[in-house]
Amino acid sequence: MSDAQALAPATAWRRSLSAPPLLLVGSVVLYVGVAVWTGQTKMLEPSGVVGLLQRMVALGIVALGQTFAIIAGSIDLSVANMISVAAVLASYIMQGRAEMMVAAVLIVLAVSALVGAINGAIISRLRVNPFIATLGVGLILQGLLSASFTNFAGSVPPEFQLVAYSAFGVVPYSVAALFVLAAIASFILWATRFGAHLYAVGGNAEGARLAGIRTDVVTIGAHVVCSVGAGLTGLYLASRLRSGAPWVGRDGVYDLESIAVVVIGGTLLAGGRGGVWGTLAGVLLFATLDATFNMLGVSAYPKLVLRGAIVILAVAAYTFRSRGHVG
Amino acid sequence: MVEQASALEMLNIVKTFPGVQALDDVSFDCAPGEVHALCGENGAGKSTLIKILGGVYRPDGGTIRLDGREVAFSHPVAARRAGISIIHQELSLLPHRSVAENIFLGVEPTRCGILDRRKMRVEASRLLRRLGSSVAPDSLAGDLHIAQQQIVEIAKALAIHARILVMDEPTAALDRDDAARLLDLVRRLSAERVSIVYISHRMPEIQAVADRVTVLKDGRTVLTASLAETPTSRLVRAMVGRDLSDFYPPRSTQPLGPQALAVRDGRNRRLRNISFEVRAGEIVGVAGLEGSGKSALAQALCGDEPFESGVMEIAGRVRMLRSSRAAIEAGIGRLSDDRKREGLLMQQSVRDNATLTERAFASPLRSPTSEPMSPQSTDERLAQLDVRAASFDQEVQFLSGGNQQKVIIARWLARDPEVLIFSEPTRGVDVAAKAAIYRIMRALAKNGRAILMISSDLPEIIGVSDRILVMREGALVGELPGGATEEEVMAIAVAHEREPQDFAS
Repeated sequence: MSDAQALAPATAWRRSLSAPPLLLVGSVVLYVGVAVWTGQTKMLEPSGVVGLLQRMVALGIVALGQTFAIIAGSIDLSVANMISVAAVLASYIMQGRAEMMVAAVLIVLAVSALVGAINGAIISRLRVNPFIATLGVGLILQGLLSASFTNFAGSVPPEFQLVAYSAFGVVPYSVAALFVLAAIASFILWATRFGAHLYAVGGNAEGARLAGIRTDVVTIGAHVVCSVGAGLTGLYLASRLRSGAPWVGRDGVYDLESIAVVVIGGTLLAGGRGGVWGTLAGVLLFATLDATFNMLGVSAYPKLVLRGAIVILAVAAYTFRSRGHVG
Repeated sequence: MVEQASALEMLNIVKTFPGVQALDDVSFDCAPGEVHALCGENGAGKSTLIKILGGVYRPDGGTIRLDGREVAFSHPVAARRAGISIIHQELSLLPHRSVAENIFLGVEPTRCGILDRRKMRVEASRLLRRLGSSVAPDSLAGDLHIAQQQIVEIAKALAIHARILVMDEPTAALDRDDAARLLDLVRRLSAERVSIVYISHRMPEIQAVADRVTVLKDGRTVLTASLAETPTSRLVRAMVGRDLSDFYPPRSTQPLGPQALAVRDGRNRRLRNISFEVRAGEIVGVAGLEGSGKSALAQALCGDEPFESGVMEIAGRVRMLRSSRAAIEAGIGRLSDDRKREGLLMQQSVRDNATLTERAFASPLRSPTSEPMSPQSTDERLAQLDVRAASFDQEVQFLSGGNQQKVIIARWLARDPEVLIFSEPTRGVDVAAKAAIYRIMRALAKNGRAILMISSDLPEIIGVSDRILVMREGALVGELPGGATEEEVMAIAVAHEREPQDFAS
């Protein structure tokens, strides 16, 4: 007992270094510093900041979904392929006709929810490891897509492009949507039984099962949320690119990057702990790196090195932080 | 406490697994507010009986009644709904979630579909107060001391209004004070008319808390009797199948050999003032409360978290241990207190586990089946220790705790180190296997090995050790001869620093 009490302040101190504020401060300092240093102070005006936030949207939405899968102790490697499927499907159905917009969006959401349910069912019912299950589903999606489409398929009508290119005043719809989705996700995790059960299944699946939680339903739910996030990202990309191509998801490396930002944001890869604000802060950090490298006029490759280093450092820091802490 | 109407009746339960008659016509009942102890060796059928009660298995025959009504559980959830709560030995708390979230896991109160966190907190602290604990409902479960975690587990049972509470060796990981508090809690729950099925190997606990006891052996009931009317000797004989006097092997009468292990002024982050020696042929016990540093001592001696200053001599040579590998090379063998996590490769065979250390030190150029790793000599060592397995190719996870422990000892027989550090050698091991492990330890000592036994089980420390070292707050604070009384050991272990009853804060 006495040791535990003696340790408590140190542990509390380490834990008080919560991830989201640190990442936020780091990103702001980096962005402002580089803007001032390179003399590009117009990047600090609202339009410049909005540009930065706009870089967050695509990765942000898919990463919100990925956060759900990872908290539940699972993971989804099929999101990049799901994004491609969603983008192609949307523009193929719309074929430039505004009257097909609603139908296309509904179909994309239904398909992505179905893919998520399949992922979840394979994992929870067939007891296939989530890496393998979602890798397999991702390959199947990509195979079906590449067999059917070789290039940009169809196009989206100008009305649908407003999703990516229009704004409330200075705030683009897409940026507003990202933060609204994050708020909803945060509410689900904090204030609903589904949220509590996600943490339970990720933290101790057997304990959750014995406590009477239907763990298979929870896993399937987490994957539905995750895939729908990928579907929404696909819709956004179709709107921004004005059409969908079978490689948009893969080119964005959304599978690995979404996992990276979730982990940077402080969610345990093993599940059971984490949240969406950390993920969003991780996305902001990645967007800031993009923006600052652009300002510096440096090629994209050193950026990859830096991203890799950040992922490793972040996880090492979390491990250090939780060391010596019971259980 | 015992009353006429039964809260729980399990009548003529039969359960067969392929090739094994796990339960043969076993009956068990518990009155409201009764504490009914359930004893028996591993493999006697205790856990099968509990799994049937908990809805994990369905019986092949027999009936279960709750308050006189016949029930059949198809799923663990059904048993929980019926008011049966099982606290497993491995606690199932979520370390990163708050105490309140853990207590209401799966039964979260909601208002209009939204979690009612205020109610969770208020109800959680009400339940915890009822259990005499002042743990804050907002603290993270992983930050709690193991005794507090256990109380949270009990609160979880109260949250589902459990009327039948099964506790599987609840004091196995607790020190003496916490164990005593837990027993008080059991009495308090029974006064609230909760029926308690109390599984334990520890005779003093059973005598302190139980109204009746049932002993199982080989899937049959050997004895069901009121504790007040049953002499201890009869109980022990029913459990062990032999008298207690044979339980601890006789101490050696041979003269001791040379000094095998010596530490002078050992010190690190968790330890200070560590000076002692162990001689060949000797079993030295290390006693102390939870957190006294006795497990840190084992880690330091095994190079896991080494001493930062001081001198350590093994077989007369000064050694600096910077890693587990260095410790093994220097002649130290270790039986860890957490065999599942630190001792065994659960999914590998018995034989692979028994040769693990030898293989780690074998030259990569030598055949993996050369001596002493050959299947023949490995099997000989396993047989010498009387390891019971269907086959030595079997995965080690399917062995009982006692046999798993023997597999780890077999690993060290091949290596034959000067010094053996045994941490909690009989934790979670049934009574017969305990006696076997003590005999093995004594035989090893007789063959000239020095043994340091670190244990929270005082009767074991007293019964087995030739000398007893006592630790408190990271330091060695006393030494007693073997056969000292529990009171003498405790007097040194707690000394005067004891705070007046502020445990739960």
